[in-house]
Parts: sequence; C-alpha cells; structure tokens
Amino acid sequence: MPQAVNQARTEQGGEPSGGLERKPKPRYRSAFRILGGYIEPHRRTFALVVLCTVLAIAAELFQPYLVKVAIDDHLMAGDGGYGSIAAICFVYLGLSLAELVFTYIQNNLLQHAGQSIVARIRKQLFAHMTKLSMSYFDKTPSGSLITHVSSDTEAVNQFFGQVLLTLLRDGLTLVFILVMMFQLDATLGVYCLVLLPVIACIAIAFRSYMRATYQLARTRLSRLVAFVAENLAGMSLIQAFQQQHAQGERFQEQNTSYFQANVREIRTMVLFNRTFDLLSNLVIAFVVWVGGKAVLGASLEFGVLYAFITYIRQFFQPINAITQQWNTLQSATVAVNRIWSVLDTEPEIEDRPQAVRIERESVAGRIDFDRITFGYEGAEPIFRELDLRIRPGELIGVVGTTGAGKSSLMSLLARFYDVQAGAVRIDGRDIRDMAQADLHRIVGLVQQEPYLYAGSMIDNVRMFDASISREEVIRACELVGADQLIQRMEGGYDARLSERGSGLSAGERQLLSFARIIVFRPRILILDEATANLDSRTEQLIQQALEVVSEGRTTIVIAHRLSTIMNADRILVLSRGEIVESGTHAELMARKGYYEELVRHAHGEPELVTALYGAGRN
Amino acid sequence: MQSTGLLKPYFARTWPIYLGAFALHATASVVYAYFPNLLGFFTDQLQAGDLLRSDVARYSLLLLTVGAGHALLGGYGQYLIMYAGRLFDYLTRRRLYTHFTALSEHYYSRNGTGKLLSTFMNDVTGVRESLSMGINQLAMASLLVVSCLGAMALSDIPLYLIAASVAPLLFIPWIVMRFGPVIRGRSHQVQESLAAMTASAEEQFGGILVTKTFAVEPIMIERFGADVDRIRDHQLSLVRVSSLFQALIPFLGSMSLIASLALGGYLALAGTISLGDFVALTLYVRMLMNPLQQLGNVINTLQRSRASLERLNGLMAVRPDIVEAEDAVPARLDQEAIRLRDLTFSYPGAPEPALANLDLVIEPGMTLGIVGRTGSGKTTLAKLLLRAYEAPAGSIRIGGTDIRDIRLDSLRGQIGYVPQDGFLFSATIRDNIVFGKRDAGQTEVEAAAKQARVYDNIVAFPDGFETKLGERGITLSGGQRQRASLARGLLKQAPLLILDDSVSAVDAVTETEIVAALQEERREKTTIIIAHRISALKHANLIIVLDGGRIAQRGTHEQLIAEPGLYAELYAIQEEGGQHAASR
Repeated sequence: MPQAVNQARTEQGGEPSGGLERKPKPRYRSAFRILGGYIEPHRRTFALVVLCTVLAIAAELFQPYLVKVAIDDHLMAGDGGYGSIAAICFVYLGLSLAELVFTYIQNNLLQHAGQSIVARIRKQLFAHMTKLSMSYFDKTPSGSLITHVSSDTEAVNQFFGQVLLTLLRDGLTLVFILVMMFQLDATLGVYCLVLLPVIACIAIAFRSYMRATYQLARTRLSRLVAFVAENLAGMSLIQAFQQQHAQGERFQEQNTSYFQANVREIRTMVLFNRTFDLLSNLVIAFVVWVGGKAVLGASLEFGVLYAFITYIRQFFQPINAITQQWNTLQSATVAVNRIWSVLDTEPEIEDRPQAVRIERESVAGRIDFDRITFGYEGAEPIFRELDLRIRPGELIGVVGTTGAGKSSLMSLLARFYDVQAGAVRIDGRDIRDMAQADLHRIVGLVQQEPYLYAGSMIDNVRMFDASISREEVIRACELVGADQLIQRMEGGYDARLSERGSGLSAGERQLLSFARIIVFRPRILILDEATANLDSRTEQLIQQALEVVSEGRTTIVIAHRLSTIMNADRILVLSRGEIVESGTHAELMARKGYYEELVRHAHGEPELVTALYGAGRN
Repeated sequence: MQSTGLLKPYFARTWPIYLGAFALHATASVVYAYFPNLLGFFTDQLQAGDLLRSDVARYSLLLLTVGAGHALLGGYGQYLIMYAGRLFDYLTRRRLYTHFTALSEHYYSRNGTGKLLSTFMNDVTGVRESLSMGINQLAMASLLVVSCLGAMALSDIPLYLIAASVAPLLFIPWIVMRFGPVIRGRSHQVQESLAAMTASAEEQFGGILVTKTFAVEPIMIERFGADVDRIRDHQLSLVRVSSLFQALIPFLGSMSLIASLALGGYLALAGTISLGDFVALTLYVRMLMNPLQQLGNVINTLQRSRASLERLNGLMAVRPDIVEAEDAVPARLDQEAIRLRDLTFSYPGAPEPALANLDLVIEPGMTLGIVGRTGSGKTTLAKLLLRAYEAPAGSIRIGGTDIRDIRLDSLRGQIGYVPQDGFLFSATIRDNIVFGKRDAGQTEVEAAAKQARVYDNIVAFPDGFETKLGERGITLSGGQRQRASLARGLLKQAPLLILDDSVSAVDAVTETEIVAALQEERREKTTIIIAHRISALKHANLIIVLDGGRIAQRGTHEQLIAEPGLYAELYAIQEEGGQHAASR
C-alpha cells in the first residue's frame, strides 16, 4: 500500500497544479506508444484510411498534370482532334469523382475509428476512477477528475479528428507535390526543394511567436471574464458602496489590456499570412523566370511550367495546415500522458485474490474492531489499539467532539481505508477477506448531506438498478414516510430530480436516502450525522423513519443532537480516538462524566459549551 | 429597426477605417485579378515565338509585383478591418459594463449573472466576428469576384465561355448556405452531448461515496457509458455531413475546370481563343473558388450574429428600475430619523407581499435589532433602505423627504452595508476593506480590522493586508470572509450601518467580542443588526420580530423574553441549537 500512495503522490506532482501557466513537457514517445495500442485493433480501418487518402490525393494532384498534357500535347502542338481533349475531360471527371468519394470515405472511416477509440478511453478512464479508493478522491479535487474525463479526452479526440488527418493528408500531399514536381522537371524541382527548409523555418519561428501572442490574449481574456463575473455577482455591493465609477475604471484597465493583446495578435496573424503569400508569389515569379528561360531554350515545355505554377500554389496550404496542428498535437500529447498517469494509479484498496463472496442475508451483523491502529497518511494515528465489539442488531449511539474519530471509525468499517494494525471483522470475518462489492452491500451509510442524482424519484431510490422493481421502491418510501411528499410532487414517483435535488428540502432528501436503505437492505447501517441540518419538524419524521430502518439491523448512529441517540442500546463517547465512556443513557447520566456534562450543556449555559468546543470550530 | 442601436454609434466612429480598408481591398483585388492575364499574355507571346529573355524577366517581375501588391495592400486592409472589429469588442464591452452598473438588483436576480456574462462575452464576440470576419471576407471575396469577372470580361475570352466555366462555381455559395446550418446544428448537438457527459462526470464524482456505499459502480459506469456513446453518435452524424461538404466544394471547382477545359479546349483548337486566353481562364476559375466559398460563409455568419446583436440591443434597452429623481436632494442620516409608514412591499411577480404594513421609526443614534425566520422579510427591509428595490411612494421617509427624492449617492454614501455572504473581490485584503473609502490610511484600515476581529488573521498571512484573495490568491474561511466584510462596512464610518446577518459564521466567543466592539464604535450612530442568533442583538435599544413580513413583536430583549411569542420561542430553540452549532 505505501507504494500505491507514493505513486498517487508522484502522479499528483506531475499535475499542472499552478493552473495553465506552465505546461508540462509533452512526452511524445510514450504518448504515441499508448495511442498505438489503441489503434492496433483498428489497424484494418487505418490501413483503409491511408489507402483512401493516397487515392484521393493522387486524384486531386493528377488534375493539374492533365491540364499540362492538354496544353503541351494537344493545344500547344495544335495536333489531334477534339477527341483527345474530350478524353482528358472524361479522365478529369473520373479523377474528381474519385477524389470526392475517397475523401468522403477516408473522413468517415477515420472518424469512426477515432471516435470508437476516444469512447473506449473515456469509459475505461471513468471505470478506473470509480474503482479508485476514497483516499484518492480525498486527495484529488473533483475539478481535476472532471478535467481528465472531459477536456483531456477531448484533446485526444482532436488528435484523431484533426492532427492525424492533417498529418496524413497534408503530409502526403506535400510528398506527392514534390514527386510530381520532380517528375515534371528535376531542375525546377530542386530549386523548389531548396525553398522548403526556408519556408519551414519561417513558419516555425512565426508559429512560436504567434503562440505567445495568442496565449497573452487568452490570459487577459480570462482575467477580463473573471473580473466581470465577479463584479456581476457583487453588483449589489458595488451599488451599495457607490463604487460603480471606481469599478468601471478598473474594468477599463482590463478591457484596454485585452484590446492591446488582441491588436498584437491580429497584427502577428496578418503579418504571418501575408509573409506566406508573399513567399508563394516570390516562388512563382522565380519559377516563371527560371522556367521561362528554360522554355525559351526549349528545354522545358510550357505546360510543365503551367503545372508547376499550379503546384506551387497548392504547396503552401499543407505546410500552413501542418504547422497549425502543432499546438493541438502538443496538448493531445500532454493529455494522453495525464490520462495514463491516472490509469496507472492503483486503487489503494483492492480485493484480495482469495476474497470470498458472502450472501448478504446470511450476515448476522456482529462487528469487532479488533485492537485496530489507524491514522491518515502522514498524520498521527487516530486510533491506537482500539477495541470495540458490537452485537448483532444492537443500536449504538456515538457522540464526541470534532476530530474525535467518529467518522474515521465508520470509514474503516466500510473499508474506505485499511487499518494499519489489527482487524475489523464482521461476523468474525476480516473485512479485508471479503469482496468490496459484498461488503458495501452489507454496510449501508447515510450521510449528513444526502446526494441525489439527475433522474426520476424511483431511480434515485433504487440507484438506477433496474432489477429493483417499482413496487419495491414505492413500498420503501411508504415505510419511511416519504410517500406523501412524493405524491405531492408533480409527476409523483416519476418526478425528475436534478443533481442537488432541488425542489426538496434537506429533510425530504434525507427521507429518500432512508428509502434507499430499505431497498438495498444492508445488514449494518451507519448514520453519519444524518439528522443535522434539519428543522425540528422534519427531524421528527426522520426519527420515525430511523426506527423503521434500524429494525433488525445493527445500527450505528453518529449524532450531535443528543435526542437522536438517547434511546440507543448503548452510547459510546469518543474522545481523541478512545472510547472514554460506554453505556445506556441512564447509566452514563449516573456516571456524571463527560456525557452527563454534554447533556447538561445541551439544556442551557451555552457559554460553557462554547468554551468546551469552541476550539474545534471554524 | 431596433437592431441599429449598438451599431450606429460604432460605425459613426469607425467608418473611415472601413472606408480605407475597402479601398485597399478593392485595389488589391484589381491588382490580383491581373495575375492570370499576365500568364495568359506570357503564353501567347511564347506561342507566337516573339518572347525574349528580357520579357521573361519582365514577366517574372510583373508577377512578383502583382503578388506583392495584393499581399501588402490586402493584408493592410485585412488588418484594418480586424482592428475595427476588436474596437467593437472594446467599445461595446465598455458601454455594457457601465450599463450593468446601473441595473438594479431585481434585474440580476431575475436574469442570473451567467446569462448576462454569456451575453457580455459570447454575443459581443459573435457580432464582432461578423463585423470583422464577415465584412472582411465579404469585402475581399466580393471585390475579388467582381475583379476576376471584370478582368475576364475585358479579356478576349468570349462571354459564353466564361458563363459556362463559372456556372458550376455558382453552386458553391448555395451549398455553403445549405450545409452551414445543418453542420452547425449537428455540431451543436456534439457540444451538448459533451456538456452532458461533463455534467454526468461531475455528478458521479460528487456522489462517489454514495456509489461506493451502495456498491452500484457497474450501474454508474454503464450510465456514463451511455453518455459517451451519445457523443460518438453525434460526432459521426456530424462528420457525415461535414465531410461531404468539404469534398463537394473542390468537386465543383473541378467541374468548372472541366467545363473550361472542354469548351475552352475546343475553342482554342478551333482558334477562336488563344492558348493564352485558355490558360488565363483556367487560372481565373481556380481563383474564384475561394472567394465564392467565403461568400457562403459570410451569409451564415451574418445570420448567426443577428440573434446576438438583437440580444445585445435588448440588453442595452433595459431601463434601470431605480433612477434618481430630477430634483433629488441630499439627506442627513446622522440627524434625521427614518420613518416607515404602512410599508408594504412585494417583489415583482411574487404573489405574497414580502413586507406588510410596517410602521417603524428609526431614530438617529439608536441600535435596532431585527430577528425572524428565513423568509420573514429581514433582508428585504435592508434592501429597501438601500433603495436596491423601490418602496411604494411615501412609505419610507428620511427626515421629511421621501426616499425616492433623495440623491442616490448621498443615501448610499451614508449607509454602511454588511451582507451575510461576506462577498469579497479578488483583490488584496486591503483593497477589499477600503472598498467604500479608497483613500483610507493604514491606521484606519487596521482599526476597522481590529474592531471586526479579523486583524490577527490578516497579519498572520505572509503578505498581511496586501494578501491577494480569490482565484489567484488565498481563500478565506466563511467566518474570516464575514469579518473582513464587516471591517469593510465599519471602515466607512457611515451614519447608518446595516449588518445583515453578518456574523452568522463567526463562533460565539468572537461574536461576543464583535458585539462589544460594535457597541463601542457605533455609540451615537444608527445601527441596524439583522440576525438569526439572538445573542448578536440582545443589546439593541429596540428589537422587532418579523414574521411573514409583519412586525409580530417589538420591545427590548428583556421585555421580549418575558412575553410569550416567537422571540421567546426562538430564544429557547437557540439555546439548544447554539449547543448544536457550537459542538460542530
């Protein structure tokens, strides 16, 4: 496990944690190797794509040659009837059709393969992330997880949609043009070839400068957006403090600096494009000069010159296109490497090979924390050799201050973390010997903030598990007393909820998560401050629901409100990782210890309570 | 038409730029249109056999001049138009921002800042694109098309040959216009499915603990997979049209060439046209392809941006709800009492009034406490006093003057307002505290920070008061934010201070200290304390209890706890709730 931890750490270290300021250096080799692995199953399609591309380009580039033939062999020579011209026209038509068809097929094939690969990567990445342990989610902000799944995979998509296509099509076009040029006239070809490195150098130099101006403009734009977004959000304050004018001036600063960056950007862009234009015209003039002299000396046919001029005009477009793809290629490479470092992260908690499958119904619900020691990574241990035994069906209440370890204890029971020494056992079996899927079905957890998904009420209760029937869900809702409120909603059980469960109060959402418990029937139930944040009316409803769900289950209730746990079979007082008191409400009251003090403060003298707990707040 | 609202002043300012750009483009196009002709002459001279070495050099130079002339003139024209486009961004956003600062809170709550921001960014960009890209391409393309056609017509090439050769090209703009919206629609679907997948990932990762506890990972993976597949399907449906479109345009160009080859070749063979004319014709056909495609694009861009322009003009046409009266007078909040007489207020569109029949006199120098449940109208009252919303005429008077007849800067300048959310800007802590009084000295700032009990927190940062907050700086905790925002309100030393549940996230000990500091600082000055927690306002001279927008009870703390009612009830609950909050 320590190894896995280290790996997760290096992975995070590789992240551009400082935002987009400095991109990590792309590692092309590994990225291409990885993508190669994905291309492998589609190699037939890719071979077809290459074939189609070659055919399409050949068909396209052969066209100027045909005009050359028409000029040199027929028009210039003045021989032959119209028949050969007509024949050339038909060949031309054929070639155009071939270009149309093959370009179309090539595009569709490539996209089909590319999209399948990207979809596969997305699914694989998501499935992998879902299986990572909770500690990974604790450490990694969900924003960066989402970035991996959406933006990084989108960059890979662009690789297939744009980069690969451009490299293939424009690279081949370039090669074909050169071949045709040499075929037509080697001397002129060599002259043109000399120009190639010059053009490439200019293009590359300009590109990097353009990238810099582009990024400057992007940065200033994002500042402008952030500024305006914040000002819109705080407009009431700006108005209340009469700062419209002052903020307007600040806005003007941002606006002006963005404008300046923009002007610089367009200036560079126009300059770049026109330099290319100029260069292309220079080459044409040069070819006419050199070629014209050759034509005069009769060493060159005029049609060749004509074809050359056409090819030169086509020559610049692919160069431009390829240099444009450079950025995309870089970001795709970075993205691939990032995705891979996620896929390389091993879940810290994995099923043991000898893990056994357990029938949920056969579990009695005895829990033993057997001399466990546990602390979070890099922190002092919270528990040292803690011993706790819970009988099947017992209702346990847990109280204690923040940081006492209440929630950590429950995380260990659900095996979100592994103990460092000792063992957690259910019915005498070490939970590390169980399959996680079984364990999680045995141990149910209700959190303080119930989480609802975008979907119908029914699906939210059964967690989209279609094998659970609608009737079962409705019965569960009736049991916990959520039935009435659901009937009241438009659409009833089919009412659609949004992510944050809008339209429902905190208490109503909590009732739904209780219904989940009824439907999923865990043998052991943990309520982690499930009744905080509720007003007293809803709390009553919840209290009733609690009685229903705890029936026949081992139930552990962590609570601040003492009223929730007064009726527990046993109340544990946790302090700094130790169980300092244990017993029924009456017993603990009689003991006049920590618990009794808590209860006393709950009924007045808030200053004292603050003195006791103030340190843990804020 | 209303759509000219934003554009008129813009063009009034930038027309010389556009005129210059058009002139440049026109010259460039005319020059460029000479290019095929040159090669045609070259061919003819060559065929006739009277081409000299000096002519070759002359032709190359001429070609270079034409090319360079087009590149430079056209390039400068392009730059000018793009510059003018960015100027539109700049000027429009400046106007929009000023307009934003005048819009009332009601407008923001109804429209949401997301929508406004989108208009501010995307719609402005959309209109600018059609102004710079659209006009640029329109100018370049149409001038080039006209010049090419003109040059062809002026040459010896017969008109019917030109017509036959150009005919297939004329389908290009039509195809662009036909395909454009379809492609746009499908790429919109792609974007939407991408957004749906991102939302789905967000949801999944947000609820990962729930997924894990119910061991439903396979189901969630399957749900996500469905979103992923939808993207793929949309992408493929997009590529089916877009690749057809991309292949069709060159195909039409080829058709054109075939037409000129077939007919022109025949005519050249028959000797009706010279070989040079034939060469020039094929070159013209190639030259026409690009501008025609651009013309189609322009029409699409213009269509798209029309909606944007309408949204922008619509936004600019919104009249601020709160406007200063013509003959508004200043107020003296330090001397004059605020009188609410039968104040009833409903939010626009709300069925129930938020405040009903309020009668209250706030004497200068007093401390007023307001308690009540969520939604009882406490904040509404504060907003009305700030005139963020408009109270009915005559229901709020300051001294003898209706609040509607008081100058806004005088009114708001005398009120210090501390909102509950502790909103701070992404600037330094100092900048935030001096927000309402930018010329405040360091001693004043520190004193306010001390009163708000945030001084110790601030000096603990390495950069102290110069610490940057927000996206590119540090994040304060909820309690720290509230206290910094309290310091901002206190620094203003305003005759009236409104604390709108401003210490709700502050722990009880600090709250007690702050309340003591407030009592000291606000001696002789009017203070309104709105709170959930009774401990924050029990020292007030007068406490009103709001319930459903009405004053349910009024009196001092001692009077109110003695009588049965909401106040005593709240007090009792809070003694228990206070324990709950404290132990968290």
